[in-house]
Amino acid sequence: MNQSKLDRRQFLKGLGLGGAGVALAGCDLPSYVTLEQGEENVISYLAPNEYVIPGVGVWYASTCVGCSAGCGIHGRVREGRVLKLEGNPDSGVNMGRLCQMGQAALQHHFNPDRIANPMVRKNGALVEASWDEAIALINEKSKSGKAAWVTGTISGHQRVMAQTHLGAIGGSRHYAVEQINANVWKTACKDIINDPNPEIHLEKAKVIFSLGADFLGTFISPVHFAASYAEFRTPPRGTLIQAEPAMSLTGGNADHWVGIKPGSETALALGVANALMNNHGVAGNGISNATKTLINKHDPETVAGICAVPVGRIEKIAASLAANSPSLVLAGGSATGNANGYSAAAAALMLNQMLGNIGTTITAGRELAYPQLDLVEGNSANLKDLAIDANEGKIDVLFVSGANPLFLAPKSLKMLEGWNKVGFKVVLSSMLDETAEAADVVLPLASSLEDWGSHIPSYAKGTRNLALQQPLMEPVFPNTRGFGDVVLALAKDAGAPGLDDYDDYYGYLRSAISALKKTDSEKEWNGFLMAGQTQIPSLGRKLSYSDGKITPTMNDSDDGNLTLIASARMGMWDGRGANLPWLQESPDQISKVVWDSWAELHPKTAKSLGIKDGDYINIKSASGEVTTRAFIYKGIHPGAIAVPIGRGHSALGRYAKDNGVNPLSILNGASDSKTGEIATTATKVSVKSAGKNKQMAKLMEIDRQHGRKLVATISADKQRRTEGGA
Amino acid sequence: MVVVLVGAIIVIAAQILDQKLHYTSTDVVPGPIVPGTQYPDEAFTGIDVPQPIDFSHKIHAGDNEINCMFCHTYARRSKVSGIPPLSKCMGCHTVIATEKPEIQKLTAMWEKGESPQWNKVHDLPDFVHFTHQRHLKRFLFDNQELDVSDAKRVCSMCHGDIAEMTVAKKSRPLTMGFCIRCHEANEGPSDCTKCHK
Repeated sequence: MNQSKLDRRQFLKGLGLGGAGVALAGCDLPSYVTLEQGEENVISYLAPNEYVIPGVGVWYASTCVGCSAGCGIHGRVREGRVLKLEGNPDSGVNMGRLCQMGQAALQHHFNPDRIANPMVRKNGALVEASWDEAIALINEKSKSGKAAWVTGTISGHQRVMAQTHLGAIGGSRHYAVEQINANVWKTACKDIINDPNPEIHLEKAKVIFSLGADFLGTFISPVHFAASYAEFRTPPRGTLIQAEPAMSLTGGNADHWVGIKPGSETALALGVANALMNNHGVAGNGISNATKTLINKHDPETVAGICAVPVGRIEKIAASLAANSPSLVLAGGSATGNANGYSAAAAALMLNQMLGNIGTTITAGRELAYPQLDLVEGNSANLKDLAIDANEGKIDVLFVSGANPLFLAPKSLKMLEGWNKVGFKVVLSSMLDETAEAADVVLPLASSLEDWGSHIPSYAKGTRNLALQQPLMEPVFPNTRGFGDVVLALAKDAGAPGLDDYDDYYGYLRSAISALKKTDSEKEWNGFLMAGQTQIPSLGRKLSYSDGKITPTMNDSDDGNLTLIASARMGMWDGRGANLPWLQESPDQISKVVWDSWAELHPKTAKSLGIKDGDYINIKSASGEVTTRAFIYKGIHPGAIAVPIGRGHSALGRYAKDNGVNPLSILNGASDSKTGEIATTATKVSVKSAGKNKQMAKLMEIDRQHGRKLVATISADKQRRTEGGA
Repeated sequence: MVVVLVGAIIVIAAQILDQKLHYTSTDVVPGPIVPGTQYPDEAFTGIDVPQPIDFSHKIHAGDNEINCMFCHTYARRSKVSGIPPLSKCMGCHTVIATEKPEIQKLTAMWEKGESPQWNKVHDLPDFVHFTHQRHLKRFLFDNQELDVSDAKRVCSMCHGDIAEMTVAKKSRPLTMGFCIRCHEANEGPSDCTKCHK
């Protein structure tokens, strides 16, 4: 690359001189530079509503669909355009807060690369078509053969609608695909404490021991947990211990970050349990004898050898958990992203049982009285099933919306081969992503800010609400249609019973919610929309405890290769954020890199491989290879290399395309033995320099303060004393 | 570096040239004075901006003495004064002056359900936050020496004597210097962030 001669210093000098010139000119800059006359149009209203005042925003409630957390939002609408999103203070999910992905939903809505018109594949290429033509083609093709739906996490009346359609066309399977999920944790909770989605009270805990659960970034409902975490950190301040192979946002906030060997989290939990029982007299009520035998085999010395964590650190974790009750142990993210992921979650729940946290910091959630509206939670096991079923010829007609299987599936799953075996593929999407590009028919959807919907938040404390989504403005692309509208029309055409009364999805939703709430009054309906949600009946669950199967064995051959960690981040998420410049531009929480992928390497590892910061490196697994730049950094286990997921698109618009690399593509296809989740931290890779170096675009180039006291510090000893001596 | 210097010189030179081109003598005072204020004394000769309808401010605000805020009803409620909605025009013009060609143009638009695309005459850059509401409060509603029916005097501080014009024409420079000098004279705020939010 030819580097420009103008460096930052010169640029600032130039800026100063230019500024001086402007100052000399005073504040009366030439009118033809800044003040236009007759250049812009101003269009008056025809007959506006009484409350419309140009220049004054009106806030409308809706629901964010950026992930499955279902945060309530308020959108500021001015002159018919939505300009800003904020959290809805009345929402029990986010309590007025909103994450960067929620804020950036505006850029999805106004994205220049949105699909404007339906497209149909003719002679091998997608060409624009009319809605009538596209729908007629779908109606003709979907009658023949085995049909299936692929969605992301879906809930509320959209779920009912998609499944009604699936039933009407004689399909059976609904694959809910979601790369970033807490499926392993939730499955373990269901099996072990009899509640798949228990309430997690971070704020009540005095110590949190998290095995890879990035609850501030990607775990279940991050905005909600961030609020609970803030409460947890208010005096008397709780202590956070995070064990994970590569530092996450939560790890970066921890008091003690334990850089553990990938896949050894279960062993660490057993080691801590061993220390609790033997050194701190924790009895282990409710723990089976078989599990106790397993714990006894895992004394801290043995575990230290497995996890590459010092014995002293394991004992300190146990001491901290024993001295501060109640505590909370979580497992997720990288800990559950390997073949023994379920064991890590089971071991975390076992620790909670030993420490008496079940019933205090983990309490029973509530179950919806209308299970047909509940979430179909997406997971990556379904992604694997989809690839297998498609390859085996079990699918003839496929409807896809809200998921991008061709981007998410590792090459080893042979998703593309399977996809090509499916006779007829319909993708409902607002962006032309990898999956839409390979479809036979593409139907352009309205954005989340133009559409009607109802959602069940993936996590709720106390009562259960149905979160309502309403259009905040007229469609930016007039020929797009809402998801519900399209599926309702398809279901009607396919002869689904009971839908003839509804002209559009709004009518259906309004009538369904009226029936649910047993009220048909306009006033109450408006009240639900203003609140952005409405309470729906739910039933209490009851927690119990029975040991889960814990298998700490690791088949880890030390062949000198590194373990690839395909790490998840709030922002790019599973790749859906890559087409939003705000998210590309906001520095990564850990590396501070913008607009590109990187690979985190421990300085020791980098030195032994002869790699410097900013070197291009080849990362090669059995099923593929990616090339990106090295980010040398201590927050990673020396035996691991972490590449964040989300970038590396070959489609999805101008901002996402050909930017960065996709580590998911080179995963070896291993999965969790219990849940079938695709393992994201179990692929061995060889790493070598590609021979080029280029400085990375990142904020905060150095990690030292050079004595400037930018961040106040106290000694480690003093800090430990303030936090219970852990 | 040289480029920057040359640029600075061009900016300064253009500035001087611009003043010569557009500023009329400062003793020309457009519009009636507002009592109880330091009235700005800078004038500017704007270009003629053609409009889809040759709306006459003179007939409405001048001859018939209709208050500016009757049509520009948003000025006292919002940052923008707003162009009146077509429904407001038609409130009178379904019966008044229906034979005039410009009114017939308006009626045709109303019947088609189309709004005229007016051309913006007074256009501040997007990085300037100016609010009509606050200025009207200071100079009109809080001004004991001026009757509210005389609102056009206040409007004329920035817009000149619109009541004598057909379609509006810019008659004040509306540069930052113009704003600042008036703020200093009338003790308005001088924080950068008041206008550059």
